[in-house]
This record gives sequence, structure tokens and C-alpha cells, in this order.
Amino acid sequence: MRRIDPRRTFPRRKSVLALLLVGLATLPARAATDRLDTPLTAQPAEPLAGRRVVLDRALSACLLCHTGPFPAPHLHGSIGPDLTDVGARLDPGQLRLRLVSSARLNPETVMPSYYATQGLNRVGNPWREQTILTAQQIEDVVAYLSGLRPR
Amino acid sequence: MVRVLINVPKTVRRDEPFEVRLLISHPMESGQRRDTLGLAIPREIIDRLDCTLDGEAVIHMSLFPAISANPYLSFSAVAQRSGTMTITFSGDRGLTQVESVPITVV
Amino acid sequence: MIHGGTSHRARRGLADRSPRARLPIAATIALVLAITLPLTVANGQLRSGYDDAGPQTRAMQDDDTANPAFLWVRQGQTQWSTPTGTSQKSCASCHGEAESSMTGVAARYPTYDAAYRRPITLDERIEQCRVLRQGAAAEDSESDSRLSLSAYVGLQSRGMPIRIDVPPTARPHLDAGKAFFNLRQGQLNLSCAQCHDQLAGQRLGGSTIPQGHANGYPEYRLEWQGMGSLYRRLRNCLNGVRAEPLPPESAELGDLIYFLAWRGQGLRVETPAVRP
Repeated sequence: MRRIDPRRTFPRRKSVLALLLVGLATLPARAATDRLDTPLTAQPAEPLAGRRVVLDRALSACLLCHTGPFPAPHLHGSIGPDLTDVGARLDPGQLRLRLVSSARLNPETVMPSYYATQGLNRVGNPWREQTILTAQQIEDVVAYLSGLRPR
Repeated sequence: MVRVLINVPKTVRRDEPFEVRLLISHPMESGQRRDTLGLAIPREIIDRLDCTLDGEAVIHMSLFPAISANPYLSFSAVAQRSGTMTITFSGDRGLTQVESVPITVV
Repeated sequence: MIHGGTSHRARRGLADRSPRARLPIAATIALVLAITLPLTVANGQLRSGYDDAGPQTRAMQDDDTANPAFLWVRQGQTQWSTPTGTSQKSCASCHGEAESSMTGVAARYPTYDAAYRRPITLDERIEQCRVLRQGAAAEDSESDSRLSLSAYVGLQSRGMPIRIDVPPTARPHLDAGKAFFNLRQGQLNLSCAQCHDQLAGQRLGGSTIPQGHANGYPEYRLEWQGMGSLYRRLRNCLNGVRAEPLPPESAELGDLIYFLAWRGQGLRVETPAVRP
């Protein structure tokens, strides 16, 4: 029978090793919250269609908050970051997450979740149980924004 | 009959220009807008306004669709003696209206 | 203020006390202010929508002969003295001259109504009078005659600072209004506070986001090319975030308008205002 040595205090080597392994296992999950790599649709994305979505204020409202290489700059908002060259700063996976639900990165964000129907209050009749953009529209916008890079 | 507010000074001096200001309640629908079904909303504007002072012409105005709703119009006039200023305007949908306001010269 | 030195200290002001002694005093002052001051806006300064409008828009509001809202005010003035409804009484029959009897009224509405047991807005009160006391037909909030009367009555308080009384019985309604103001809602999941407290002064599309005070209603909006009530504006806002509308003359609407008025206390009544 092993006698327990009172001088050996927690954590023991085995516990330390176990903790380290658990920590390493969760690391990839933490990095993954910044991105959503799986496309929402199987169809190929069309950047030009994505541009039409971005420019359509009634549909996407992107330009109400964001500036960027779009027509009528005096009608762009000043709330979100500038989207010029955003394709160089964020890759498609990162762009996809921010569109689907920026709230996953920042719960206090004013950016709407473009592909979510849960956790909303008092949604008006015409929009109930619907996402702001369809899956294909999200993919098209991701494709368009990914292409915004310095020439 | 549309609502009209006419503002002139209570009294004016002989031969001294004074300002006449009008506010007319009117949609001034340009004819360029479309409704939610995509159908053009028909033009409905005031297109003519004339002002006389005791029968003598003060101003003739032609108005166009670019003028926004409830138009504010102002112009100056000169009077030699007290009299009645008459404002006549007409437009789409058979609109025709006459308003008058006294001008008192001191 | 004490300028330093150790002589001539007749009174021990805040500046004289040691930093440790100042803290509880400062904390108490801050706490009292936090409870009593309704300011929830980001930089602590109240800004009327007038301050965020362009110079030409402000010029229209400043000139009663150019302000299109006066087409409604003049009609309201006429209506005030016109007998109506089954009673064939005019407003003047009971209230006399509006210039004297209505002074200060718009500056203290909404007010808690003991009979209804909730805050009641000025638009509701006028409609109540028309329907219950004059026996006139009920009308939509955007009807010509309701806007005209509201504008005429509101004008009698123009320039006066808004002061909202909150008796203890009204407190839950104020809190409900505040909760609604802070509720993220609609498909766009935005609260009034996010835009009008946090983001006031920044641009949404081409327009500066105002703090969203209700001190100029009913008002002439250039985007409407006409006159409209606060209800119309709130309906547009809720539609804008793709949320359910608030029913007109509902308790929730009354609570929200109560909170909005309380939040804007100190601002002067500008009815009838002109806005973009």
C-alpha cells in the first residue's frame, strides 16, 4: 500500500498532464469561433449577384452602416467598418461568420444576424421565421466581399 | 378648395416694396413616383399662379413638378394706395381658386 | 474654490478634503445624480432633432410664414372654435381661449391618469375629449383634424421646457417604457437605445442619427411631405427594424411615449417642428 506523502500537494504531474491535454483539445474550438468555413449552399457563389445584394438598401441595408467602393458615398453610413479591401483582411470563412451572425463574436454588436431566426423579439409578421438573406445570397455576398482586394 | 395662408404686412408704405408670402396646402405630386404596385402615381400640381393688386398685374408664375408639396411662395409688390390683392391659381384635376387679402397703405 | 495654501480656510470644501475622504462624497453625488438625472444619452448632452437638421430645415422651422405645419395650425385654430359632434360644443366652449388655457399643457404630457391608471398622451387626451365630451366621431391618429388640433394645442407651449411628473403609481409605467426602449427587437434585432443613445451623432445612410426626442410633435417631415404624429414616427421606426408595430392608443405605446418625454426633459417644446 502506497503511503500518501502529505508534502506532495495538488496538482500532481498526472493531473497537470490531463489538464494540458483538455486545454489543447479546446484550442481549435476557440479559434473556430472567428470563422464559419462550411458554405451554406452547394451551388457556386456569384460575386456579381453578391454585389447587387450589398447595393440593395431595402434588402440588405449594408450601406446604411458601411462605407466602401460603392456608388453614392454621401449616402453611406458611418457605423460599421469600411469595406474597402475587406477581402484582404478577412478570408471567406471569417466573412461568412460575420454575415451569418456577428453576435457570436460580439453579443453587443449592432450588426444584424443575416442568417438567424432564434433569439429575436417581436419580429413583425412579414419577417417572422425568415432570415434577412437567403443562404445563396450570403454565399454570393461572401464571394463578392472576398474579391474586394487592392489591385 | 385648398388651404392657403397669405402673409402680408399689416400696413405698407406708399411706393415701398413689401413681401408677400404664401403657403398653399397641395400635394404637388410630380407624376414621377410609383406606388408599391409599380404603377405611376398621376401628376397633380398647381401649374399657374397670378397676383394682381386692384386689377394691376403684380406677378405671373408658372409652377413645375420639381416644386415640393405644400409650396412656399414669396414675392415682392409695391402699392400706391390701399386696395385688394387678389391671388388666383389653377392646376391639375380642375383646380382653380381665388384668394384675396387687403393691402393697407399708410 | 480654494486656491491652495493653508491659511484662510473658512470652509472645508470638496477640494480640501483628502482623496480618501472625497471618494464617498463623490460616490454619493454620482449616485444621487444617476437616480435623478434621466440622461441616458451617450455624451450626457441633450440634443433636439433641430440641432441635427440642416440649416435650410432649421430655417423653415424658424419662420412661421414658411413652416408648412402652419397650414395645420391655422386649421386647428379654426377647429378650436367650431362646434362639433353630437354635443355641438367647440373646444372653446369649455376651454376658452387656447392661448391662455393651453399654455404649458404640451410641456407636461404624457401625464398619469388616475382613471385610466396609466400615462396618457396629449394626442389621446384630445381624442378622448372629442369623442367622449364633444360626441365627435373617432378618427385615425393621422387625420387632418386630429393633427391640426394637436399642432395648435402644442404650439401654445412652444419654447417651454418639458417637465414630466412621475408619481409613485406611474413609476412602473416609466420603467416599462424604459425596458421597451432598451429591448432589442425585430428581425434586425436592434433596440431604440442602440441607435439613439449609443450611436446618436453617427450616420445611418446619409442622415445623422438624432437622439430621438419627441419634443416637436406633431411635426412636418420633409420625407413625408406632410404632417404626422409621434405615433407615425414610432411606427416607421419599428417597421425599420422589422418589428411588430405597437397598437395605437395602447398601454405599451403610452408607456414608451411617457419614457421618451421623461428622457427628453429640459428640451423645449418645438411644436410644430420641421424635420428631414
